[in-house]
Amino acid sequence: MEYSNPELPEGINTSKDNPLKEFFILTVGLLAVVFVVISALILIVDNFADKIPFEMEKELPISGFIENLETEKLPPYLEQVTQKVLSTFELPENMKITFHYVNDDTVNAFATLGGHIVLYRGLLEKLNSEDELAMVIAHEIAHVKYRHPILSVSHGVVVGVVLTAVSNSSGNSVVNDIMGQTGMASIMKFSRDYEYQSDKEAISSLIKLYGHADGALGLFKVFESEFGKDNSFEFLATHPLTGNRISQTTKMISESNLTSNNSMIRYPDEFKMWLKQQKEKIEKPK
Amino acid sequence: MYDLIIFIVLLAMGYGFGRYAETKHYKSIINREKELNSIPAIATKILVPARNDLNSQLVTGNVVISIDYFKRFIAGLRNIFGGRVTSYETLLDRARREAILRMKEEAKKLNAELVFNIKLETSSIHKGRGNSIGSVEVLAYGTALYPH
Repeated sequence: MEYSNPELPEGINTSKDNPLKEFFILTVGLLAVVFVVISALILIVDNFADKIPFEMEKELPISGFIENLETEKLPPYLEQVTQKVLSTFELPENMKITFHYVNDDTVNAFATLGGHIVLYRGLLEKLNSEDELAMVIAHEIAHVKYRHPILSVSHGVVVGVVLTAVSNSSGNSVVNDIMGQTGMASIMKFSRDYEYQSDKEAISSLIKLYGHADGALGLFKVFESEFGKDNSFEFLATHPLTGNRISQTTKMISESNLTSNNSMIRYPDEFKMWLKQQKEKIEKPK
Repeated sequence: MYDLIIFIVLLAMGYGFGRYAETKHYKSIINREKELNSIPAIATKILVPARNDLNSQLVTGNVVISIDYFKRFIAGLRNIFGGRVTSYETLLDRARREAILRMKEEAKKLNAELVFNIKLETSSIHKGRGNSIGSVEVLAYGTALYPH
């Protein structure tokens, strides 16, 4: 018996294709599938979520969370401005909005379930005028008006359930993580749309109040100086980049044939004093 | 955002180093296979005709190779979509050939004429962390026949 030992050709057991090609096809495919599925689910859920009566939303145990923030009653000036802004909204009768003030350095304000809106001293301090303050308040009221808090919570639940169901399906923690992140990115897309919608609504409220929308621009300038220039990718953020919010605002202003660089109503001195006292109040114990 | 950057850097590193290591390894495998071609490694259990003028001894070759980040990621995607897991094919191909080569190198030290009844055993090394560590061990062993 003759035994020969020939050299075998290469590439029998392996593929000659560049793995980068496979990588791009698979990654783009996965991202697209997750994004489309989650967005479709969110759209379906949105049809149900905004049918949840506002009363039911109010009964959710959110008040405990608000209490933990050590909220305080609004001072007369804030009360006055919030009422002024509220009057420009035509809210349904049952949609009662409760404002809270928190004596804290956090530069933020938010609206949450049950029509609760929380304003932090940190943000109030950074603003210079009533117009800007009205923009903040109107923006948060718009969130409540369009039921954004309950919609966002519903999105979180849906995406959470779906991702829990399919997580570990790939057996690779990195791939699972990517799917999770894509799910989050889909949620954030909706979150950013809500911000734009609220900005729009708030700007029309400003126009009703003051005849111009410079308060919005003023507020976004405060954001720019406070949080720095945009240095992140928008698709990774819950809020649109400030630059994009400014361009939407300028577009709205020019479409409504409004003038810009109008004089804005300054904070009254007594409110400035009050903010100062508030700050000292929490700094003293140290 | 930093997560994304870290991920891309890891992928690029995995791709770069993995590619480099693989090309280098294949080059070495092909060269050494040519060198050791004179020692046949055959799978048959019974040698025909039987020769009494040869001694026999067990020879083994063992190798452990790890997959890189990039390939592991592609393999993870393949687990969802299905299809040929090409990124693991080269890993196993290299591991098998390297194990046989190491076995043959041992046989060469004995001045062996051939190695028969060769077997290959494969196991993955993960110690319960199957998702995160993709190392493979291949053991080749056979009976080397060498002159008295």
